[in-house]
Amino acid sequence: MSYRWLIKKIPTSKYEMLAERFMDALLEAKEGGNVPSSLVKAILYYSAQDHLASETSLVTLLEALASVDPQLTVSILEEFGLEEVDLPQKPAE
Amino acid sequence: MKSFGIEFVPMDLYWRTAYYSIQAEKLGYDNVWITDHFNNRNVYVSLSVVANYTERIKLGPGVTNPYIVHPVITAQSVASLNEIAPGRIVCGIGAGDRTTLEQVGVGMKSPLRAVREAVGVIRRQIAREKGAYEGRMFQMSEGARFNFKVQNRIPIYVGAQGPKMLRLAGSIGDGALINASHPDDIREAVKHVKGGVERAGRQMADIEIAAYTSFSVAQKEKSARKPVVPVAAYIVAGSPPSILEKHGISLKVADQIRNDLANRRWGEAFGAVDSNMIEAFSICGTPDQCIGKIEALFKTGITQFVTGSPLGPKVRASIDLFGREVLPHFKESS
Repeated sequence: MSYRWLIKKIPTSKYEMLAERFMDALLEAKEGGNVPSSLVKAILYYSAQDHLASETSLVTLLEALASVDPQLTVSILEEFGLEEVDLPQKPAE
Repeated sequence: MKSFGIEFVPMDLYWRTAYYSIQAEKLGYDNVWITDHFNNRNVYVSLSVVANYTERIKLGPGVTNPYIVHPVITAQSVASLNEIAPGRIVCGIGAGDRTTLEQVGVGMKSPLRAVREAVGVIRRQIAREKGAYEGRMFQMSEGARFNFKVQNRIPIYVGAQGPKMLRLAGSIGDGALINASHPDDIREAVKHVKGGVERAGRQMADIEIAAYTSFSVAQKEKSARKPVVPVAAYIVAGSPPSILEKHGISLKVADQIRNDLANRRWGEAFGAVDSNMIEAFSICGTPDQCIGKIEALFKTGITQFVTGSPLGPKVRASIDLFGREVLPHFKESS
């Protein structure tokens, strides 16, 4: 399952709500300092452009949250109707 | 014209401060102020990121001090920021926070002179003046100039709390940042600023007067009050005796709080904060309660209301609540 594939499974009518949910989770995440800076910059760019609820932005938000709190990420995706979510594996370091 | 600012203490990750600033800009805030303390993230790094991701909002340190940061570096920092956000930079400077300065062995020596001279040095540098600067605290030779030109005016706001610093703000500042939240304190502060304005032969319209408040808004009053407690502890610790006595706060309790904070005994320091201190040193409550309190502050003569830390129990939600339910009340009426 790629991040984009996961987002595409969610109805676009829920994108706005999902973006807010992801953003709140990221702003509260204890490990927020570990979100890769390339993702952080993309999130700030989408926020500034008012595109936070776009498909591409949601993919970024999902990847960012998954990088610091995979468990919460899965539970949010389940809240939005996805079942048996399997997050993409991080490449081996 | 009423304007609204928001203050951030960069204790949080730089990208969160930037995100909240973007949010504030979109909701109609006019200014972002970021505090400058050695123990938080660097103010200019934070401001650079904010400058990069915003388009309209004005921004600057609120406030830096001339003891830890030499004014020539402050001038260089705001001038450089101006290249990222041309015409949007402001510079707040005050004597600093006594508790934080003492932690690094820096005394608050001659605060009025230090701030007056620092403002002079910053202006001299930004204007690339050729003459030497001969102050008692700061001296600069004729050749001590920027190698680059600053294209925009950078207004300097003087952060003040006591009467003398408030008068100084009125006489030399492009703005005054009044560090208070209670209408009685602000009314008196505005009077002192006005005294400084008159003494310098200026007009009140020449300067902006901002109330730099400790602020918290939430849908429920109780939720709004809770995050104010740590901030109130710091304000009590940093307030002069005259202010504490005016609000019926024991100097002994204030000393104890100051001591506990300096020694990182957070539980003791915050536990000593009572509701009298919260009322004296913050604007907090539901959106309707905040509207009433802010209206009372504008009646004192201020022109900018700054929502300072902590903002609310959840920062994003509170900025949103303020932007949607409080700010329109004032923006639409003006």
